[in-house]
Amino acid sequence: MAPPAASQRYPSPSQPSGKSEVSDLKTQLRQLAGSRAPGVDDSKRDLYKKVISYMTIGIDVSSVFGEMVMCSATSDIVLKKMCYLYVGNYAKGNPDLSLLTINFLQRDCKDEDPMIRGLALRSLCSLRVPNLVEYLVGPLGSGLKDNNSYVRTIAVTGVLKLYHISPSTCIDADFPPTLKSLMLHDSDAQVVANCLSALQEIWSIEASHSEEACREKESLLSKPVIYYFLNRIKDFNEWAQCLILELAVKYVPSDSNDIFDIMNLLEDRLQHANGAVVLATVKVFLQLTLSMTDVHQQVYERIKSPLLTLVSSGSPEQSYAILSHLHLLVVRAPFIFATDYKHFYCQYNEPSYVKKLKLEMLTAVANESNTYEIVTELCEYAANVDIAIARESIRAVGKIALQQYDVNAIVDRLLQFLEMEKDYVTAETLVLVKDLLRKYPQWSHDCISVVGGISSKNIQEPKGKAALIWMLGEYAQDMSDAPYILENLIENWEEEHSAEVRLHLLTAAMKCFFKRAPETQKALGTALAAGVADFHQDVHDRALFYYRVLQYDVHVAERVVSPPKQAVSVFADTQSSEIKDRIFDEFNSLSVIYQKPSYMFTDKEHRGPFEFSDELGNISITPEASSDIVPAQQYEANDKDLLLGIDEKDDNKGLSSNNGSAYSAPSLENSSNITSQMQELAISGPATSATTPQSSFGFDDLLGLGLSTAPAPTPSPPLLKLNPRAALDPGAFQQKWRQLPLSLTQECSVNPQGIAALTVPQSLIRHMQSHSIHCIASGGQSPNFKFFFFAQKESEPSNYLAECIINTSSAKAQIKVKADEQSTSQAFTTVFETALSKFGMP
Amino acid sequence: MPVAASAIYFLNLRGDVLINRTYRDDVGGNMVDAFRTHIMQTKELGNCPVRQIGGCSFVYMRISNVYIVIVVSSNANVACGFKFVVEAVALFKSYFGGAFDEDAIRNNFVLIYELLDEIMDFGYPQNLSPEILKLYITQEGVRSPFSSKPKDKPVPNATLQVTGAVGWRREGLAYKKNEVFLDIVESVNLLMSSKGNVLRCDVTGKVLMKCFLSGMPDLKLGLNDKIGLEKESEMKSRPAKSGKTIELDDVTFHQCVNLTRFNSEKTVSFVPPDGEFELMKYRITEGVNLPFRVLPTIKELGRTRMEVNVKVKSVFGAKMFALGVVVKIPVPKQTAKTNFQVTTGRAKYNPSIDCLVWKIRKFPGQTESTLSAEIELISTMGEKKSWTRPPIQMEFQVPMFTASGLRVRFLKVQRFDFYTLDSTILSKIQCRVFKSLCN
Repeated sequence: MAPPAASQRYPSPSQPSGKSEVSDLKTQLRQLAGSRAPGVDDSKRDLYKKVISYMTIGIDVSSVFGEMVMCSATSDIVLKKMCYLYVGNYAKGNPDLSLLTINFLQRDCKDEDPMIRGLALRSLCSLRVPNLVEYLVGPLGSGLKDNNSYVRTIAVTGVLKLYHISPSTCIDADFPPTLKSLMLHDSDAQVVANCLSALQEIWSIEASHSEEACREKESLLSKPVIYYFLNRIKDFNEWAQCLILELAVKYVPSDSNDIFDIMNLLEDRLQHANGAVVLATVKVFLQLTLSMTDVHQQVYERIKSPLLTLVSSGSPEQSYAILSHLHLLVVRAPFIFATDYKHFYCQYNEPSYVKKLKLEMLTAVANESNTYEIVTELCEYAANVDIAIARESIRAVGKIALQQYDVNAIVDRLLQFLEMEKDYVTAETLVLVKDLLRKYPQWSHDCISVVGGISSKNIQEPKGKAALIWMLGEYAQDMSDAPYILENLIENWEEEHSAEVRLHLLTAAMKCFFKRAPETQKALGTALAAGVADFHQDVHDRALFYYRVLQYDVHVAERVVSPPKQAVSVFADTQSSEIKDRIFDEFNSLSVIYQKPSYMFTDKEHRGPFEFSDELGNISITPEASSDIVPAQQYEANDKDLLLGIDEKDDNKGLSSNNGSAYSAPSLENSSNITSQMQELAISGPATSATTPQSSFGFDDLLGLGLSTAPAPTPSPPLLKLNPRAALDPGAFQQKWRQLPLSLTQECSVNPQGIAALTVPQSLIRHMQSHSIHCIASGGQSPNFKFFFFAQKESEPSNYLAECIINTSSAKAQIKVKADEQSTSQAFTTVFETALSKFGMP
Repeated sequence: MPVAASAIYFLNLRGDVLINRTYRDDVGGNMVDAFRTHIMQTKELGNCPVRQIGGCSFVYMRISNVYIVIVVSSNANVACGFKFVVEAVALFKSYFGGAFDEDAIRNNFVLIYELLDEIMDFGYPQNLSPEILKLYITQEGVRSPFSSKPKDKPVPNATLQVTGAVGWRREGLAYKKNEVFLDIVESVNLLMSSKGNVLRCDVTGKVLMKCFLSGMPDLKLGLNDKIGLEKESEMKSRPAKSGKTIELDDVTFHQCVNLTRFNSEKTVSFVPPDGEFELMKYRITEGVNLPFRVLPTIKELGRTRMEVNVKVKSVFGAKMFALGVVVKIPVPKQTAKTNFQVTTGRAKYNPSIDCLVWKIRKFPGQTESTLSAEIELISTMGEKKSWTRPPIQMEFQVPMFTASGLRVRFLKVQRFDFYTLDSTILSKIQCRVFKSLCN
């Protein structure tokens, strides 16, 4: 309840200040307290209503506590309820006065009317005053044994409330075992459901310091308990069904029959009108079949249609929640949804948050067959009145172009956007054209001719302007008046407010200078002078750096600032697949909406109390996970525009005199890198480009320029012998995979012969088997293949589990290793990589 | 874990608190202020219905002029949260009878507090069924079903029902006249090219029922749905009856429908709740036949004048007719003056929604009707503000016609306890959102 002081800071004009009213109420209540006149209940009701309404709007009415309690001796239930509500709100702040209420609440707990018994018990547990807990135990105990199910449901939740006030009292009174027996034997569904939620909360908190609770927590997931719930699921109401399904997700089935039994049992839940039930069922299906790739695919097919129905019915907020989940699935398996792209077309009257998600989904499902239609639809949106959506759709078109489908037509469309002559459209398009040029330099001719015609005066947005300036610098030799445009811009240096634009201006002037020195020399001089005098630290530093490099040697400067461009093959993905998997594990929760795992947005102590293996995983994974988090969060905070962000990073690699604020470049490595980097720059220039196939780290370690050579492989790891006849059944594998923390993630490239051989995925499985690494599951379609492997040490039963994702178009393999023995995981990874690198070799 | 709401707030559009119910201590007391300052008073409000501030997440919905905000501190189940709000609002509406808005809340705040106590305990949703709750929480005040005092009507076995399994219907209902009403409401989303070719068309439909039946009747509904018919003929081992069958892309049902039986026998059988409810929802993308053709032509004559011609053709059977046809034709914001001519019905310009609203009370089949309008615009300075031509919307009812072709074949009451059925089956279609792309 809002503490009155806090709420009163924002009094609305219509709300009474309260002081005099409250004292009035006090006297009136006092008069009524002892009265037994007929009709007194009605006047009490009016007074109570006033008190409650003051309380609601945040006026402090705690001063009438005594009077309220005095008046509570009544048989009128409405009065009682209002009084309970009042007491529940203020008891915490007035522990002494609360003692007064205990008496009448305890009396009511023994009332012959179950309704009153229940209400009183609920209020008693809601007092939340630690020194009154002793009074709770008795009534709760009898409440749990009450012959009325209404009272029992309340008592069960009461136990949970008691636990949150004083865990020790709750445990000492032996309530959890009582709940457990109620859960398994009570005839009333709601009692059972409440027992389940209470026990889940209690045991998962207790589990951290009590082994017994840990065992109890596990026992909730035992086969008999799960089957007991699932078989009765139709007796429960929709909310309780969600609870049970959520429990079933954590169950580890013993074999595939078990899995199919559960799925058959639950299949009709997909037809339920309640979206939450459907989503919970979907989660069960997806998690159960994780290890069975082909069934997993079928599950996607099966759940597609119920989810699409839910999206098109219900309020926009509900469809937003469902769409977020669908989005996650679409990104995971775009090919399954490729034919359903029309469902993701935006409707005119949808709110923008729904449209935004749909645009992202359209981007994700685009492939050779549907690109044309999708892009046509997106181009419609670009003319939308809603500017934010228009921008998003232009970006979506660009993203699709970067996915390599039908680039030709898309470039034409983008260039048409430039002719629409709307500020924001032009700005967004310029950013995209720039990204496209970085990936497909072969289009430069078409684009440059159009871009050259754009007057820089019409572009106000920094990002668009920066993109234009970048192109001017990069393609100075193709645009006849590039130096003069730059000169104009440099002359207006003072009026340029965005540091980002000024930084780009410096670089562009430099690049232009190397190509057309005579025409640019003067402008460059002006730019460097203005830059050195700039108040912005980064601009200043960069200007100074350029100046000194030029002074040192012009050729070195050229190699640093304007090296021959190499096309960017893959733009960095902001989220690692580890994070994506984690979000997937937390399906049907806020994680999916926020698109980040729960540990990023809930504090440790606030974390959802019922997470089993996740909890373990989280703790041990933090050291390396944290390095993943940094870039993702920075993007969130500083830079909504993914593509531009990457571009900046790219530039930074060339220049990187700044590591920081204006550019929001992710500092993946420690800042100590900057110096080493600078040295490296000076010495080797930007020769170590991240786009060369060897440095498979891609863009993930941008500022760790040339780092691909830096971390020398651990000196000759001890040779690991693997057991050629290792055996592990799929269930055990799945359990281990969930429980073990991730010990290593590695990326490596696969040789072309290997990629060629991958047309038959079985060949890789046989190949790895010959190296004593066994495949347990595999799947995927070109270009992405996914394999799960395991291996065992020859001497002892220590297991290694590995997930290997091979992308045939980029010829990269991503390997995730989990091991029983963390210490030897590096050795195993080496063995694994060696084996993989030999794949396809004769 | 499903939603464990730590608190629920109801606020009006200004941000005044109407209802404030805290269930758990894990969120601070000033959450309402946080919501006001960080969400309501910023542009963020319409951007996303789920927002995070500090360690807490706000899940909120606007319903008429009220915001309902759920505050959670854990990684809650959002879909469940929204559904809970929707159900709760439906419950409140059934208590207030009709509107759910600021005034209704102010007038009934004690009742709402009572209900909030019952429908959620310590953050976990409990029973939200109006049928059951109305047994012991009434508008006049609470009456206990357990009290020993004799009531006008004895409520049998109420104890069980408070939490019981058939949560949506109470026992002991008796009507003099037993009636069932059934409506099919479909919303068609259509995209047409300028030549009148249908580019895209999909239908989302609902079957709405109103039941006033005594006892615990068991109903069975037969539709001309393809799978259902096949299954039926298979079971009775005789060829399927001729006649059009349709294929539903997907169906969802009210919780009263026995899903196991639907899956095994493909029949929709259920014990209905009392009163009005939504029996099922479905979705169709193929084989949609449209009752109307809309052919708009819009000409912009210079900067300040426009000419709009809309021709509506009914393509359903000549013996049938559409009722309450409303065509909404969007016009630019800066419309100054309009002149129309219509062949049937009435039209007027509604500036608040920037539309020409054309109403036709009765529209017979196989006929056509046109509206031609001249629109004068206020001339604006500066660059030409482009007008995006929003879709034309159309609403109507055609008795015994559905765009999807869905038809009710029978509705059987299987357990005749002690009454005969005065059944009225009424099937109608309401279409919404016609999107047409002109020129």
